[in-house]
Amino acid sequence: MIFTNYLVCFFLVVLGIYCMVSQKNLFKIAVGMGLVDYGVNLLIVSVGFHDGGTAPIFNISELTRSSFFVDPIPQALTLTSIVIGACTTAMTLCLIIMLYKQYGTLQSDEIRRLRG
Amino acid sequence: MTNLLWTMFHVLVFPGVLFCVVIGVLLAGLDRKLVARMQNRVGPPLLQPWYDFLKCCGKETIIPRHARRSLFLAAPVLGFAALITVALFVPVLSCSTYSTSADLVVILYLLTVVGVSMIVGAAASGSPFAGVGLSREMVAMISYELPFVLVILAVGRMAGATTPLGVTFSLQAIVDWQAANGSMLFHWSMIPAALAMLFVIPCEIGMHPFDIAEAETEICEGTLAEYSGPPAGLFRLTHCVKMYIMCALFCAMFLGGISTGYAALDALVVVVLSVVITFVTMSVPHAVCARFKVEQVFKFYWTVVAGLALISLILVWLGL
Amino acid sequence: MYDFMYHFPVLAIMVLFLGAFIASLVGRRNAVIRNAVVLIAMVTSLVLILSLVKPILLEGQTITYWLSNWEPVGDWAIGISLEVDALSLFFALIVVVAVFVSGVYSFFYMDRDDSLVNYYTLFSMLSGSVLGLVLSGDLFNMFVMIEIMTFTAVALTAFRNTYEGALEGAFKYLVVGSLGSTSVLIGIALIYSQMHTLNLAQLAAMLPGYDSPVTIIAFAFLFVGFGSKAFLFPFHPLAADAHAVAPASISLMISGVLTKCGVYGIIRLAYTVYQNVDVNVMNALKSVCNPMNANFVQYFITGVGVVTMFICVTMAFNQHNFKRLLAFHSISQVGYVITVIGLGSALGLSAGLFHAMNHTIFKGLLFLTAGAVQHATGSLDLDELGGLSKKMPGTCALFLIGAASISGLPPFNGFASKWMIYQAAFQKAGETGNFFFVVVCVAALITSVLTLASFIKVAQSVFFGQLNPKFAKTREVSLGMRIPMWILAILCVVTGLFPDKVQQWLLAPATSAAMNAAGYIDAAMGQGYAASFSIPSFQPQSIFLSGAWQPVMWLLLLVSVTLAVCIVALLGSDDKAPAISETNTDTPADPKYESFFSGEASVYSQVGGSDLFWGFKHNWRHYFSFMHNWHSGVVNDYTLYGAAAIAVALVLCVIFL
Repeated sequence: MIFTNYLVCFFLVVLGIYCMVSQKNLFKIAVGMGLVDYGVNLLIVSVGFHDGGTAPIFNISELTRSSFFVDPIPQALTLTSIVIGACTTAMTLCLIIMLYKQYGTLQSDEIRRLRG
Repeated sequence: MTNLLWTMFHVLVFPGVLFCVVIGVLLAGLDRKLVARMQNRVGPPLLQPWYDFLKCCGKETIIPRHARRSLFLAAPVLGFAALITVALFVPVLSCSTYSTSADLVVILYLLTVVGVSMIVGAAASGSPFAGVGLSREMVAMISYELPFVLVILAVGRMAGATTPLGVTFSLQAIVDWQAANGSMLFHWSMIPAALAMLFVIPCEIGMHPFDIAEAETEICEGTLAEYSGPPAGLFRLTHCVKMYIMCALFCAMFLGGISTGYAALDALVVVVLSVVITFVTMSVPHAVCARFKVEQVFKFYWTVVAGLALISLILVWLGL
Repeated sequence: MYDFMYHFPVLAIMVLFLGAFIASLVGRRNAVIRNAVVLIAMVTSLVLILSLVKPILLEGQTITYWLSNWEPVGDWAIGISLEVDALSLFFALIVVVAVFVSGVYSFFYMDRDDSLVNYYTLFSMLSGSVLGLVLSGDLFNMFVMIEIMTFTAVALTAFRNTYEGALEGAFKYLVVGSLGSTSVLIGIALIYSQMHTLNLAQLAAMLPGYDSPVTIIAFAFLFVGFGSKAFLFPFHPLAADAHAVAPASISLMISGVLTKCGVYGIIRLAYTVYQNVDVNVMNALKSVCNPMNANFVQYFITGVGVVTMFICVTMAFNQHNFKRLLAFHSISQVGYVITVIGLGSALGLSAGLFHAMNHTIFKGLLFLTAGAVQHATGSLDLDELGGLSKKMPGTCALFLIGAASISGLPPFNGFASKWMIYQAAFQKAGETGNFFFVVVCVAALITSVLTLASFIKVAQSVFFGQLNPKFAKTREVSLGMRIPMWILAILCVVTGLFPDKVQQWLLAPATSAAMNAAGYIDAAMGQGYAASFSIPSFQPQSIFLSGAWQPVMWLLLLVSVTLAVCIVALLGSDDKAPAISETNTDTPADPKYESFFSGEASVYSQVGGSDLFWGFKHNWRHYFSFMHNWHSGVVNDYTLYGAAAIAVALVLCVIFL
C-alpha cells in the first residue's frame, strides 16, 4: 500500500518534469509544475502515514504509549505546501495570460527574446 | 621623527621616486640605443627619454572636447604613483623596505592598477583611437595574466614547500628561501617558469613586438592618442619606470639570495641585472621581430608561455 | 543580554510583513503614508538587527526563540524556532542593509511607475521572507520563506510588465525556480522520513548517528535546491533573465540578497547540520571527521563554484545589455563564494563570507548605477550609450568605485576578499598536495582579470567615449538616488581598507558559529544535548595567511607619492600650467580640441559595446558561439538543465556512497 504511494509519487514527479521539459505549450508546462507539486505532496503525506494508524486527535489524557496514529506533522506540512503550490500555479497562469497578450503566442520556443 | 624621515627617504629617494626614475630612464635610453645599434643605426643619446619627458613638460596640455577632464588628468598621476608604490614593495635583492606589507598577488594587482589607470585615462579622452587602444591593452593584459599567475604559483609553491602551509605568497619568504637554498633560476624545474616570466615582462610593459595597444602605425599611439604635454610625459615616464620594476621583480623572484650585505651594492647588482634582462627580453625582440597581431599575442601567451609556466608548476608540484 | 532582546529577531521579521500589510491597506490613496510605513518598517528592522550585533557577534551568544513558546518537550523540537547565531546574524546584517539601501533608492527610482502600492507590498514581503530565512532554525520554515521569496521576486521581476522581456524573465524564473523549490521540498520530506524532526539543531545532533543513505540523498536534493536559489550553474540563465528586466532596486535584492539565501542555506547545511556526518562511506575509517574533509563533497561544491564563476564571466563578454552583463557577473562572484565554501577550511569559509558580504555591497552599487543610467537615459543598450561621464559625473565615479571593487583592484573590498580566496585555495592545495586546488586558484585569478576586462567594456561603452547625440539632454539623477549609492560606495572603501577589523568583528564570529555544531545544538536543545549524541565539541581553527597585505599602508604610500608628484608638478609649472577653461570646450571653432581623427574632420564615433576585445573573442569564437546557443532562452531547455543538475547530484550520490 505505502509502496504504491511512493511509486506513484515518483511517477508523478518524473512525469511532471518530463512534461516541463518536453512540452512547448505554456499551459502544459504549468500542468507539469502542478504534477511535480502533487507528487511531492503525496510523498510527504506518505512519509507520515502508518498503516492502520488512527487520526491524530487526542486529549492529552488519552495519549498512551500504545496509541498508534498517523504522524500529524507531515499533514500540516502538506497543507502549507498545497497552499504554496496553489499560489505558484495562479502566478504562472497570470504570467501566461500576460505573455500571450504581449507575444501573441503560447509556444515556449517563440518566447525567447532574452537569450545568449 | 627619524622614522618619518626614513619613510620620506624611502618614498622619495631609494627605492622610491628618484631611484626608479633614474634607473628607468637609463634602461629605456639604453634599450633604444641597443636596438639602434643592432639595426645598424646610431640611435639617440642615452638620456633621450628624459629629454622627451622634459620637452613634454614644456608643452601645452590639450584636453579634447569629448574628454572627461578630471579623470583625463588624474589617470597619469595615479598610474605613476601606483607604480612607485610597487617599487617600495619589491625587495632589491635582500634589501626590502616594505616587502612584508604586500605579497606577490598584491603586486600582481598593483601592476594591474597601473594598467587600469592608463586604460581609464584613454577612455576618458573620448577618442575612438584610444578606444581601440584600450581594448587592445586589455587583451594584452588578459594575455599575460595567465602565465604570470602560473609563474607566481610555481614560485610560491617552490619557496613554501617546506613551510607548514606548503605554499607562500610572501615575497620576503621567497627571497629568504633563495638566500638559504640558492636562487630560483638555478633550480632546473624553475627554468621554464623563468622563461615564461621573461616573456611576460615585455608584454606587461608594452614593448615593441607586443605593443599592440600603442601601435603607432595602425592606431596612432592608441591609448595615448589624445595625450599631450605633462600628462603624456608622465605616461612615458611610467613606461620607463615599469621597465625597471619588472626587471627588479624578476630579480626578486628568480635571482634573489645574492646578497652583498650592503644596500647600495645590492642596488647596483640589481641595476646590472636589469640591464641584462632588458637586453634579453626587450631590445633583442624589439630589434628582430615585427609587431604581433592582437589575436596572435593572445594565442602566444595562452599556449606557449602559459605552457612553459605550467610545466614548471607541475614539476614543482611533483616535488622536483 | 537583556531579556527583551530575545524578541528582536522575530520582531525584525514581523515588522516587515506588517509593513507590507499596512502599506497595502493604507497606501492605495496616499503615497506619503505608504512610503513612510515602508521606511519605518525597514528602519525598525535595521535597528533591531543592529542592536543584536553586540550580544551575538561580539559576545558570542545565541538567541533561540520558540514561536508561541512551543519549547521542546522530551527532547523533541516540534515547535517552530528562530535560532540566531553569529552566522545567521551576519547574513541578517547583509539583508537589512541591502533592504534599507534598496528601499530608499526605490522611493526615487520608481517615481515614474504606477500601482506602486503593489511594489512596496511585495518588496516588504520579499525583505521579510529573506530575513525569516536566514534567522530560521527550522528546515520547513526555511522552505516556506524560500517560497515566499521566490514568489515575490517573480512578481517584482514582472513588475514593469510593459518592459521588453519582463514577463518572459519572470516566467522562466518561476518555472525553473519552482524546480529548485521542489528539490528543497523533496529533501525535506526525505529527511523527515528518517529523522522525524526538521529542527536544524536537532538534525545536526541526530544525523551523525543515523547511518542512512537517504539523508545523504536528501543533502543532494537540498544542495541543488539552495544552489538554484543562489543561481549556481546550471541555473544561472535564470538570474541573467530576471536581473536584466527587473527594476534596478529589485536587481539589487535578487543579486545581493536572494543569492545570499542560497549561500546561507548551503553553509548552514554543509557546515552545521551535516558537519559530523561521515559523507564518504568509502573513507569510513575517518569516523569522526569534518564531513568537509570527506573529499567528494568538497570537490563537488568547489567544482560547481569554479564552473559557475568561469562560465558566467565569459558569458558576460557576449552581452549587450548593461544589467544582463551585471547579472552574469553577479553569479560569477557567487561562484567565488561557493568555491571557497567548498574548501572547508576556516580561512576558506571566512573568505567566502567576506566575499558574500562584499558581493552584496559592490554588486548593489553597480546595479544601482545601472538603474541610474536607465532612469536618466531610458536605455541600457551598451552599443547605444556612451560618453555619459560628462553628463553624470557622480554616477560615473560611483560606477568606477563599484567596477574597481568587483574587479578586485586594491584598495577596494573586492580585492581584500579575493585575496583571501586565493590564499584559501592555494593553501588547500599546499596542504593536500592536490593539483585540483591549484587549478581552482588559477581559475579564480583569471576570472578576476576577465571581470576587469568586462567592466572596462562597460565603462568605455556607457560612461566614456563620445556622447551619443540622442542622449544630449541627459541630466544627473537626483540626490535621493545618489545617497544610497554613496552609502554602498563608502562601505566598499571602508571594508576594503580595514579587512582585519572586518575579520575580527564579523567574519571570525560567523565562521566559528558555522563550524560550531555543538554550540548550535546546545543553544536550541539545552546544555548537554550535543554531548548525549557524542557530537564533538568545537575546536576553533586558527587562520594563517601565507602572504601579507596592509591596505592602509599602501594607501598612505600612494597618497604620499601622489602628493610628491603633484607638488613637483605644481612647482615646476608656474607659467606653463595648462590654461584650459571649460569655456574653451564649448566653442566649436578651435579644431585643436577635437578628437584626433587622422586629419579628417571629427565625427561622432563611439568605440564600445561589442567592438571591444576583438583579439580575445576571436580566439574563443567557437566557445562563445557554443555558449550563445546553449543559453537558448527557451524555458524547456533551462528546465532540462535544472533537472539534469538534480540527476547528476543523485547519480554522484549513488556512485560515491
